[in-house]
Amino acid sequence: MLRAQQNELLTQTGPGTPMGQLFRSHWIPALLAEELPENECPPVRVKLLSERLLAFRDTDGRYGLIDEFCAHRGVSLWFGRNEHSGLRCPYHGWKYDVTGQCIEVPSEPVESGFCRKIKLKSYPLVLRGGVLWTYMGPPEQQPPLPEWEFATVPAGQSFMSKRWQESNWLQALEGGIDSSHVSFLHRSDLESDPLFKGAKGNQYNLNDAQPHFEVVESPGGLYIGARRNAENGHYYWRITQWVMPSFTMIPPRGDHPVHGHFWIPMDDENCWTWSFDYRPNRTLTEREVAVMRDGQGIHVKYIPGTFRPLANKDNDYLMDRTAQKAGKTFSGVEGFAMQDASLQESMGPIVDRTKENLVSTDNGIIMARHRLMRAAKALVEKGVIPPGVDPVHQRVRSASVILPPDQPFKDAAREHLLARPDTVHASV
Amino acid sequence: MISESARVTTAAEARFRIDAPNSRPRAVKVIALDGPSERVVKHLASREWGQASFFTASAFTAPAAAAPFSMDGWLTDLAGRTKSLIEEVESADLVVMIAASGENAQAAAIIGEACSIKSVMTTALVLGSEAQSEEGLSKSLAQLRPHAMMVVVASADEYIEDMLTALRA
Repeated sequence: MLRAQQNELLTQTGPGTPMGQLFRSHWIPALLAEELPENECPPVRVKLLSERLLAFRDTDGRYGLIDEFCAHRGVSLWFGRNEHSGLRCPYHGWKYDVTGQCIEVPSEPVESGFCRKIKLKSYPLVLRGGVLWTYMGPPEQQPPLPEWEFATVPAGQSFMSKRWQESNWLQALEGGIDSSHVSFLHRSDLESDPLFKGAKGNQYNLNDAQPHFEVVESPGGLYIGARRNAENGHYYWRITQWVMPSFTMIPPRGDHPVHGHFWIPMDDENCWTWSFDYRPNRTLTEREVAVMRDGQGIHVKYIPGTFRPLANKDNDYLMDRTAQKAGKTFSGVEGFAMQDASLQESMGPIVDRTKENLVSTDNGIIMARHRLMRAAKALVEKGVIPPGVDPVHQRVRSASVILPPDQPFKDAAREHLLARPDTVHASV
Repeated sequence: MISESARVTTAAEARFRIDAPNSRPRAVKVIALDGPSERVVKHLASREWGQASFFTASAFTAPAAAAPFSMDGWLTDLAGRTKSLIEEVESADLVVMIAASGENAQAAAIIGEACSIKSVMTTALVLGSEAQSEEGLSKSLAQLRPHAMMVVVASADEYIEDMLTALRA
């Protein structure tokens, strides 16, 4: 349970809010590189942290993320012409470069220099690992570029998708660090999805619906360990990484790629769910990429030409009660991603946490909220840089391992929880 | 026609969620396992709680050697009165054991045993891990892990308050 005031603190991320300030301390994913595929391609509307923005790639290949609306009469620059190193408003011809600087006002004499007085708000937009990242905080505090392992491995070793989720970011994130739902909601998919099936760890999961948990603070966020009994008195540990504010990395299964998410607020009632799969030591196979593109694993099928899932609230998530009754799916909704999203969206745009009844196994969620509130307070009141900004905090991995009973997972699996170039991830 | 899911998941519809209690108060027993955590628990007890009660297991450190084993009388409340472990556990929905990293947490064994007998959920919180050696933390975890369904290692004492509030203690 949270008090109403705490719920508002954590769920509101617009300009001037504490959590908005926290998000604005980090580099966050803004677009897939493929959304701006070539120089002078059409601009793309982007809404992030309750700000309407426009992304474009100019004649020289430079990326820009600027206020969506022309400073003159408030026209959306989405209708603009991307030409000759700038984006021109089609209404009266005002033109802007990738920094938002106005570089032409045709109605004014060039000599007047009037255009130099016009500048739209803009944010840096940089390409890394197939993703265009932005930093929306104070320029003088811009941190080093992100170093998440999936974004630094060679192209071909990682795959990224994104989908529109129609709920507040926090209820989506909390699903990502809630390890105990897997044995219920996703149980039918563990042994059928091509990116999950066949792992020995699945059997430990399915045989034990009451795992023991350990929640340990990490430099960037949390390690959330779930242990189940393995052979000879040993434990099967699944160790999830959460790095502030909204990165999670799910423990891998067998020889499958390792995967995870970011949840990035569009506004307070919608977020982008980013989903990545990668291999640290070799390229993804054609088959793996094909099933990811087909919406399996943690990815989704789309309504063509959009990032909206094909199964969405408008079609009741293609609910199949026959499949539910037959045990083909536990909830009647197909696929890991929409099984999660359908339930998270069903809570309403911003779930009322004053009415919830958390239990002891929800300590991962409780601790994440606790750390987010502490970090936001320290940032707002004392200017303390939040965890997760330092690239060292980003060089992490999740892991699934078998360990002797007397060893803390954090120590026994220490090297497996760090990104190590070209080494395979620890997986059972 | 708009789907049922689309219609009912708006902010406007969320206002119609029934505004009535959906749970009864939970009895949470918070037990300090050592001296340092006893100080934290005493501080916590001074706050306003619903059904939380606070104890210390200090008596475990010096059990009467000659007495036959019994689960009675192994707890002390903060007023110094001896309490029956088994009775307190029996009336609990959740038992929270608080241990300071590196301190002796052996009392967890008998509390965990009592909770197991009475089928009561257990959570263990380890505090002060940043100030202690890895070895000290490992020792605490080894003592707690077999007897708690959930173990949390927290660097800040105020986490306990947040956790108890979240659990409606």
